[in-house]
Order: sequence, then C-alpha cells, then structure tokens
Amino acid sequence: MQERIDHSAESIGLRKLVLYRDVVLTEAGEAPARPARRASVAAVIRNPWVGSGPSADLALEQGRIAPVLAKLLTDRLIASLGGVEEIESFGKAAIVGAAGEIEHAGALIHTPYFGNLVREFLQGESIICFADTRAEAGETLVVPLWHKTRASTRSHYQTISARVSDAPRADEIVVIAAASTGPRPHPRIGDRMTDPVVTTQSLEAVPS
Amino acid sequence: MSIRKIVTVVEEIRIEGGRPVDRPARVAVVAAVIQNPWAGQGFVEDLAPGIDGHASDLGALLAPAVLDALEAPAEAYGKAAIVGLDGEIEHGSALIHTLKFGDHFRKAANATTLLPAVEKRGPAGVVFDIPLKHITDATIRSHHQTVEVRISDAPHPDEIVIALAAAAQGRPQQRLAPLTTEQ
Repeated sequence: MQERIDHSAESIGLRKLVLYRDVVLTEAGEAPARPARRASVAAVIRNPWVGSGPSADLALEQGRIAPVLAKLLTDRLIASLGGVEEIESFGKAAIVGAAGEIEHAGALIHTPYFGNLVREFLQGESIICFADTRAEAGETLVVPLWHKTRASTRSHYQTISARVSDAPRADEIVVIAAASTGPRPHPRIGDRMTDPVVTTQSLEAVPS
Repeated sequence: MSIRKIVTVVEEIRIEGGRPVDRPARVAVVAAVIQNPWAGQGFVEDLAPGIDGHASDLGALLAPAVLDALEAPAEAYGKAAIVGLDGEIEHGSALIHTLKFGDHFRKAANATTLLPAVEKRGPAGVVFDIPLKHITDATIRSHHQTVEVRISDAPHPDEIVIALAAAAQGRPQQRLAPLTTEQ
C-alpha cells in the first residue's frame, strides 16, 4: 500500500499547508481535568476538475490525489499532536473555490481514497464526521470532530475552526484533516449510558 | 498570569506565482490568550506593576515555543498585541513594547533588531496581520513580510492576545533589489 502512494506534493498542485493548533489551559476560569490539544491541517491544491462540467468522471483524479492528501495531512496532524496514540477524535473538511462544484470537494474527502486512509493512519474505526462548503478565500470553516473509535462518545463532540487567509482561490480546493487529543474542556452532559428515556410521552409528564 | 489558551499556526508555502518555491517557505506564530491584567480597574495610570508581572513571563513562554514550531532558525520576526473590546490598546502595547518581553525572543533567535509589531483592539475572531522583518538588519527587503492570524474565540472583551511570529526565510520568490541599489 505504502509504495503505491505518490508522495510528490508537486503532482497534486500543492500550493500551501497551514497548521492550526490550540490547547485550552483554562475554560470558564478553571483548568480542564484533561487539557486537550486540537489541531487542523489544511492543504491548498489546484482543483483538477475546474471547467470540466457535471458529467465529468471524477474517479481517476480522486484516486490519484486523495491518498496523497490523506498521508500528507495525517503525517502533519500526528506530528503536531505528539503521536497517533495521543489522538482520540478526528474530523475532515473541504472548501472548494468559486469556480468548482461542491462535488469536487466531496470527491476528495468522501471516498475510501481519503476517508479509509485517514482512518487507518489515525488508527480509528469510526466514520469520520465532516464539513464542506464552497467559499471565497479566507472563509472560516468549522470542522466537527468526534471519537475515532466510539463515535457516540458525547464528551468528544467538539469543533475546531480552519481558515487559510488567501485560499481557496476560485480554481483551488482546501482539504482539511483535524484531530483532538481529548474531550471538551469540562464535559458534563452525560452520555448514552446515563441518559433517561426521553420521548414525547415522557416529556408530557414534565411540568412546564 | 491567567492564560486561557495557546494557539500555534504554521504556514508552509510550496508554490508561489505558479512556480515551486526552492525551499518550502515556513512562518510560525504562537499566541497566548491572557486575561487583561488591568481589566475592570477603570483608567489605570501606572501600568508598570502589570508590566512587571506579565511581560517577561510572556516572552519566556512564547519565544521558545515559536522557534520550536518553526523547526528552523528564524531569519525574520515580529510580535502582536490584540486587545479585547473593553481594554485599551495601551494595555497591549504595555506588554509587548518592553525589553522585558522582546529580549527573550532576541536572545533565543540570536537577533539584534527591534521587533516590528501590530497592536489593535477588536472582537473575538478579529483578523490581524503580524509584520516581520529581518532579525539582524531591518533594512533587508527580502524579509519584509506579514502573516495573518485569526483565533475564533479570542480575545474576549477582558482579554489580550499576545503573539510572536518567526519566519525561516524571506518572502517566497523574493526578488526586489536591495535598498542600497537606490541610495
């Protein structure tokens, strides 16, 4: 598998990489029990399908480009968060420039050529949650994250903002992978195991 | 000192002007979001005690962190103070325009020049540009550059974002004649 991934950034028209990482030391005035590091890595590439029209077959380029992005982005994420075993939650996103289709963003993040490889590189099992949009350069996209092996782990539902000041240009796509080393700063909204049964019927019994 | 969060941004440019950059151009920023030391005190005439209590610690925290994020020797550098809406720009300036703050970065980067700076006031999520110049000769044109930063939830009205920026090189595809050619 590794041998078949083309690592050449030039081959995918990579213009720029932007890493954003934060760590919360205090939230609402108190230190989190487990301070989590969160990071997003954004790659700005040329949109290979600009001007190709809605009947164009996306398969060839997505199979060529998406695996390179999956390796590149996860390598940077892992390095910035202190190792793959540190990573507990993950997410993905894409912003397509104005001359492209949202389908082009989807082609790069919603197929096994990206998703399966990101999951494998980050040693996850969950479906990867996502955001995508078409926007001008400098637009902020909020990227959702959830737990990489147990997606319904409520403490790990969180987001991180990703933004590249001068991308995407109209003929570019920004592809993003994001991850966190832990939960929200003060998670305390229970979980599926602690929830009461809530139905319209049960709520009728609650005085309003 | 109360720090809410620390943010790191690293940009790496591979292609500029349609051509590959010889060596990927790297710029790093590390920002600390802190409680404004003078928040809620009305007009404070003497800022010196607050400066003494914060500036050196901030410099000592941010200088090694930004060089670490850059993963290369710094050739250009800059600094920023972004004050939340309830504070004065003077509060931000107080924390970064003192040798107590900047000398940590100069020493760590073997630098000698003044750090160029941005000071502004704005809401959380405000975009700010940090100017950078060469670390030993501020007239070297190839290294005049800026890096853009945004933290989605900072500064709150009673906070200040203090940041340092470092670049491992000048602008990608820099090709302006040096200042001396015009003198």
